[in-house]
Amino acid sequence: MSSREAVRRVRLPARLTGRAGVIGLAALMVVIAGVVALIVVAVRGEPPPTTLAQEAHQIATTLRCPICEDLSVADSPAPLAAQMRQQISQELAAGKTADQIRANFVASYGDTVLLSPPHQGVGQIAYVLPFVVVAAGVLAAWMLLRGGRRAATATPPSRGRPDARQSDLSVADRDRLAEALARLREEEP
Amino acid sequence: MSVGVRRGLLLTGVLAVVAVVAALLVSGLRHDPADTASPLVGRTAPDFTLPELGGPPVHLAALRGQVVVVNFWASWCAQCHTEQPALNATWAKFRDSGVVVLGVDFEDDNADARDYIASEGSDYPVVVDANSRTALAFGVRGVPETYVVDQSGRIVDRIIGAVDAPTLERTLDLLVGGGAQ
Amino acid sequence: MDQLGRFALLLGLVLAAYGAVAAAIGARGRRPALVDSARRTSFALLATVLTANVAMVVALLQNDFAIRYVAENSSLETPTFFKILALWAADDGSLLLWNLVLAGYLAAVALRFRRYRPVTFPYALAVLNVVQIFYLILVNGPSRPFQTLASPPPDGAGPPALLQNHPLMAVHPPFLYLGFIGFTVPFAFGVAGLLVGGGSDHWAALTRRWTLMVWCFLSVGLVLGALWSYSVLGWGGYWAWDPVENVALLPWLVSTAFLHSVMLQERRGIARLWNVVLVIGAFALTTFGTFLTRGNVLSSVHTFSQTGVGPAYLTFLALVLVGGFGLVAWRLPTLRSPAKIDSAISREAAFVGNNVLLLVVTGIVLLGTVFPLAVQALSNRQVTVGGPYFQESLSPVFLILLILVAGAPLLPWRVASRTSALKRLRLPGVVTGAMLVVLTAIGVRDVYAMAAFALAAAVAVGNGAEIVNGVRAARRGVDRSWWTALRNGRRRYAGLAVHVGLALVVVGIAASSTFAQQTEVTLQQGHSTSFSGYTLRYTGLDSQKQPQRQVLTTHVAVTDSSGNRLAPLHPSLNLYPNNSEPIGTPSLQRGVFQDLYSSVIGLQNNGKSATFRFFLNPGVTWIWVGGAIMVLFGLIAALPARRRRRKTDQPDGRPQTGSRELVETGAN
Repeated sequence: MSSREAVRRVRLPARLTGRAGVIGLAALMVVIAGVVALIVVAVRGEPPPTTLAQEAHQIATTLRCPICEDLSVADSPAPLAAQMRQQISQELAAGKTADQIRANFVASYGDTVLLSPPHQGVGQIAYVLPFVVVAAGVLAAWMLLRGGRRAATATPPSRGRPDARQSDLSVADRDRLAEALARLREEEP
Repeated sequence: MSVGVRRGLLLTGVLAVVAVVAALLVSGLRHDPADTASPLVGRTAPDFTLPELGGPPVHLAALRGQVVVVNFWASWCAQCHTEQPALNATWAKFRDSGVVVLGVDFEDDNADARDYIASEGSDYPVVVDANSRTALAFGVRGVPETYVVDQSGRIVDRIIGAVDAPTLERTLDLLVGGGAQ
Repeated sequence: MDQLGRFALLLGLVLAAYGAVAAAIGARGRRPALVDSARRTSFALLATVLTANVAMVVALLQNDFAIRYVAENSSLETPTFFKILALWAADDGSLLLWNLVLAGYLAAVALRFRRYRPVTFPYALAVLNVVQIFYLILVNGPSRPFQTLASPPPDGAGPPALLQNHPLMAVHPPFLYLGFIGFTVPFAFGVAGLLVGGGSDHWAALTRRWTLMVWCFLSVGLVLGALWSYSVLGWGGYWAWDPVENVALLPWLVSTAFLHSVMLQERRGIARLWNVVLVIGAFALTTFGTFLTRGNVLSSVHTFSQTGVGPAYLTFLALVLVGGFGLVAWRLPTLRSPAKIDSAISREAAFVGNNVLLLVVTGIVLLGTVFPLAVQALSNRQVTVGGPYFQESLSPVFLILLILVAGAPLLPWRVASRTSALKRLRLPGVVTGAMLVVLTAIGVRDVYAMAAFALAAAVAVGNGAEIVNGVRAARRGVDRSWWTALRNGRRRYAGLAVHVGLALVVVGIAASSTFAQQTEVTLQQGHSTSFSGYTLRYTGLDSQKQPQRQVLTTHVAVTDSSGNRLAPLHPSLNLYPNNSEPIGTPSLQRGVFQDLYSSVIGLQNNGKSATFRFFLNPGVTWIWVGGAIMVLFGLIAALPARRRRRKTDQPDGRPQTGSRELVETGAN
């Protein structure tokens, strides 16, 4: 099927004026409202734990159950983990802070009792790693996309394929063509 | 950059990555993941006062001046049966030279523990750690686990799993100055 | 049985060695007869490896305790069902199954290409045989499943308690094996493509469907693993960021990336280098994962007892990495893509984004998993990298990935202008915005949960609408029924439906990890507690002696807030003779919106009182349903395309020439 047939087959989109423009504006407003809501919630932050039980649970989620390898003290069904949960609650009630309670367990078990590496010494490297990975990813994507676009403008388009950059079409026509072609391609099984 | 140079660079990179991964994994193979270091070795043992099985309380600090072999065990633990003869022998050999073997019963039923002690014929003091407070303070990960506390109250050794009599006796000989010969 | 098994394994090794050599020589010298004999050998190999497996199963069923493996992993009391499962109860036996699955894939490849022979086939056959040789060496050397004992014990030790605690163990490991081992096939064709050279794209098209199948198997394995963790371990959760779970996730992530980027190569010839690196990477990660699990390097619930296979895996991994990526470096000039990405706002660019993000996740999970190893090696200190670390570092990346899942399928290929792109993205944008407003209004205050819900809705609506619009457009074009329209766009629509399944999984994960509630209480018999509107009363205890274990079942009566009696819960503790600590079995009422989950963690005074943990887990069912949808539509997308032209097979099965290849791959 030639691309001309494809264009004829697909209904032409309405111009971005009048009703369509209003719809677009409304859509934009909804998106902005949603983002604003998210930011407001993010800025106000989560409410801090109110009860001792909640706080104890939060501490327990950061500790590793020493006899079951993979689970947190909060999750583990092992009896020793139950004892640890009890001890956390008692120490909280006695006025100790979360950091003091964790430090006590570290004194007995070492850093492995913490489910996340400590924020000091070698442990810090673990917190830098995700940023390094993300930076490498962004760099890779940027190189791929930039290199791709430069090559696309530098080399003439392959024959038989309409290339928008090379045509004299208006922007609106170019859009219509691109959309029609995309639909056409999508229909290809 | 020519293709040859890029190819060479890439190959070098591959080899470097493989070397790093291999080194890491070789080192991983040489460590037993279950063997976790105790931060308590070399430090003062956490103090405890625990009731003897059906008897008066035992206070660890009151045993200062003696070497204490603190053995965490339970009647349901198979390896504890394995190490029991070694502990009995150590107690018999060193009880008169300033060494106390102290069993700490872990997550256990008192009646089961008494039956176990009777059947194994051990006669050193055994205390009950009802809420595992002491086990948590010592950083116990499972039973049996044994801590050797010297005369000044410092933990000098920790053994995960069943103790082996010759090794334990060598440690104790050093601490009590060979007084048991 | 032990002699039969040992003989079969040795014979298998010989057959695999012959297959590798014959296929390699046949490929180099273009000798089709030799290649065909190697191809036929694959079936003999499958038969011998199957014989070894059957020998082990028979030995297990016959209580042949003279074989060490049987003595260690089965017992007289073990029920027949779990005796068969004992085949994968420990390292040695599971390597037998591993070999069987690999031989199965090898035979499947041999069968698939019995008439149609792409140029890569002989090389791929050789690579597959080489991998099989490695695993057969393992069972002939360092691990000896058929080793016999000088004095057989009267009874065996029985399978590990966790293995015989739940029937899900019958399906979770085999599916993971199917998934893991399956990556050998795309790897073999990727390497074969490099060996053949010439910048051929056809290997990618050939392996796309294989990879999709394997991806489905691995997804089933992962979901079943999560289901097992949830239904058996009694901690109320389904994913613990255990090192072994992590290494199973790694190839899944990489293959998901490949399934997207392979479309670039199929359609545009872009990303050749990238795709072959992904395929080799996925296979290397499965080997790496196997090494971590079986080499006794990291501690985890899944670790097998210590065996001598660690160094062998390490050698093999080094070989795969050096060989695979070395080949890539060698063939670098042929891997240049003829076309480039035209625009930053296009489907292609979105695929690049998808790949980069998936690999970022892979990188974070991989580095987090090996970080404790590196710390130990460099500083002799020990640290843990667990759930909180992965959740914190991965949640933002997953959310950005979700934005892509919501928007990318709506973008056109090649070039889109900003206005047309904006118009296409309007629907998911509006859904996201509206959901965020609604969620804020109803009082959700967790930013990640809000974003996850809103984006999941956008993914479901956007991808769903794309299916509807596509079918409508197709029906406007030619007068076709909606069924024909759906079937003609099967691959694309199935892919979109997989995204909808993903949206459900995301909702389930976000809901259960944000809004779960739990409590821990010790109850006297006859006493009750209230928990989130439910009243839970401990009514009694049953003790039941089963052949292999003793089961202590507690009974908990449940009434909801309006006083209605609901079905009671029966969490239990199971005592196994070879396991000192009891193993709990949770009891739960699954619901559309939330599960009421109970487990008993201790009994006091002969059960006069019991300590329970109760959980209210919202959304967990959605994870299973979403996972099932993903796998179902993944399989639908992987179905072979209907041949448009009648096959013109040559009766003698001679290798075909290039033109046939084009017909076949074009039909995919």
